[in-house]
Amino acid sequence: MRDEFIRLDDLCVEYNVHGHASKKVLEHLDLTICEGQFVAVCGQTGCGKSTMLRIVLGAERPTSGRVLIEGRELPRPDRHRGYVPQKYSLFPDKTVLDNITFGPEMEEFGLLGRLTPRFFRSRAELRRTAFGYLRQMGLQESDSGKYPDQLSGGMQQRVAIAQALIMKPKILLMDEAFSALDPATRGDMQKLVRRLWRETGTTILFVTHNLSEAVYLGTRVVVLGKESPEPSARVVLDVEVPDSIRNPDGYPRRDALDGLTRKIEDAAMEGRLELEMAEFGG
Amino acid sequence: MSPGIFRIDARPGKMTAFVLSWFLFAAGIALYMHASHTRHIENPDDKVAPNLTQLAQGITDAVLKPADDDDIDPAANAAKPWYERFFTSMLWSDTVASSKRFAWAMLLLVPAVVLGMHMGLFPVVGVFFLRFILFFDKIIALSVLPILFIAFGIDELSKIMLIVIGVTPTIILDTFNLTKSVPPEQVVKGFTLGARDFGVAYRIVLRQILPRVINSIRLNLKPIMLFLFAGEMIASQNGLAFRIALMRRNMAMNVIIPYVMWVALLLFLVDLGMHVLNRKLHPWFRES
Repeated sequence: MRDEFIRLDDLCVEYNVHGHASKKVLEHLDLTICEGQFVAVCGQTGCGKSTMLRIVLGAERPTSGRVLIEGRELPRPDRHRGYVPQKYSLFPDKTVLDNITFGPEMEEFGLLGRLTPRFFRSRAELRRTAFGYLRQMGLQESDSGKYPDQLSGGMQQRVAIAQALIMKPKILLMDEAFSALDPATRGDMQKLVRRLWRETGTTILFVTHNLSEAVYLGTRVVVLGKESPEPSARVVLDVEVPDSIRNPDGYPRRDALDGLTRKIEDAAMEGRLELEMAEFGG
Repeated sequence: MSPGIFRIDARPGKMTAFVLSWFLFAAGIALYMHASHTRHIENPDDKVAPNLTQLAQGITDAVLKPADDDDIDPAANAAKPWYERFFTSMLWSDTVASSKRFAWAMLLLVPAVVLGMHMGLFPVVGVFFLRFILFFDKIIALSVLPILFIAFGIDELSKIMLIVIGVTPTIILDTFNLTKSVPPEQVVKGFTLGARDFGVAYRIVLRQILPRVINSIRLNLKPIMLFLFAGEMIASQNGLAFRIALMRRNMAMNVIIPYVMWVALLLFLVDLGMHVLNRKLHPWFRES
């Protein structure tokens, strides 16, 4: 195993419900992610996987425990962690190009940086870079002047990934990023993300409620689940998906997939876990 | 016309729609003309429902007569070209006076919008101001008018303060709510793209809510005018509402009616201007 890159250390999350009663969402969650891994986190709706992602992102604070990124705690979202949510992933008031260049522009020139002559000198280069990312995502240059509203859901997510990747984040966090897309688009997007991961080597944490998506995308699949009497979730399964079981198209072979399913089902049986299998293999 | 004209699925033709949409205007004018005519048979000098000749005289007075009769010799004034007379006329000077107050009020809405946005985005600012502004919002602005007159005198300041007290709490709270409705993903996204607090506030959140804020101000144009007119009618030396109140004393309906129409037209144009500006500035915005 390579060096530890991100460590989730004994995370507990409780929410206050109506003031007094608290609801435990995550309890004693430990997870170590290495650099370059593609970790797919899945589990049923409401098991706390999105909460976990938001904690890694820094958008939410755990009740106890901590998240260390390269050994440091980072209290709020920053430019080292890219984020692609399911919805509202783009700024509706900016064109595709402005959405992609927003990050580098803000970082380098700040709030009023647009007014400086230096910005105008480097703008052409910034645009060239953005066009590069746009092409990499399979978008046309003619789309660059459109507003997010005028794009399909799949195209919006392509732009959102470009917007995040242009910052060259240490980790890319994707929260149900393709869950609102139709199956065909979803398949294309999965292929795109796998290709990007192979090309850029970015560490990715991908949350999905779809097991087949998790198994296809991840080099490692982490299943969160609740044991029936317990209201809070923990890691019930953590498996590597080695490249050796994948077909040339990237999908795991049928037999390997079945083996993996059985493994997850066994884990579920053993721990009396509430885990929906319906979507597996879809 | 088909027998189904009053049904939900009726499809009125172009001509029908045209006639129907203008019918109430025509009926209103006809009814007024009839009333005016009958009153003038009884009393040829009736001022309550002026006829066309009287109205024409009133409009001419409004656009050509100087605001203060004392300053300018009528004979000398009549000799000047019409455009010079227009710019010294009472309609023009009243419009300028009212517009100045209106512009000041609009200008003071800018800090209101900025405050509302900060309240919605920065929890500490929100906690600090929200309760007070909710309280302030419930004060009937006209009820503090006497206090304003005592505190600020009866000059311009108290009139502008009346508008500010009457409208800004609404605008602040509305901007606050609009800011709250911006998805949290957008803020997080801003941070992950290297923006700092003010970058998120002014480059992401403010830009997103701005078209809705402008629409909210458009809806509040009437309260703004209402407070402006209240101030002008009670204590003023000029202004559109001052003139209307003054003309009431002389029963000069032939001036009041054109003034009312003029104010309506001005307000319509301001609203239209803001609408067009909103479209031009925010081509991405879809009203829903």
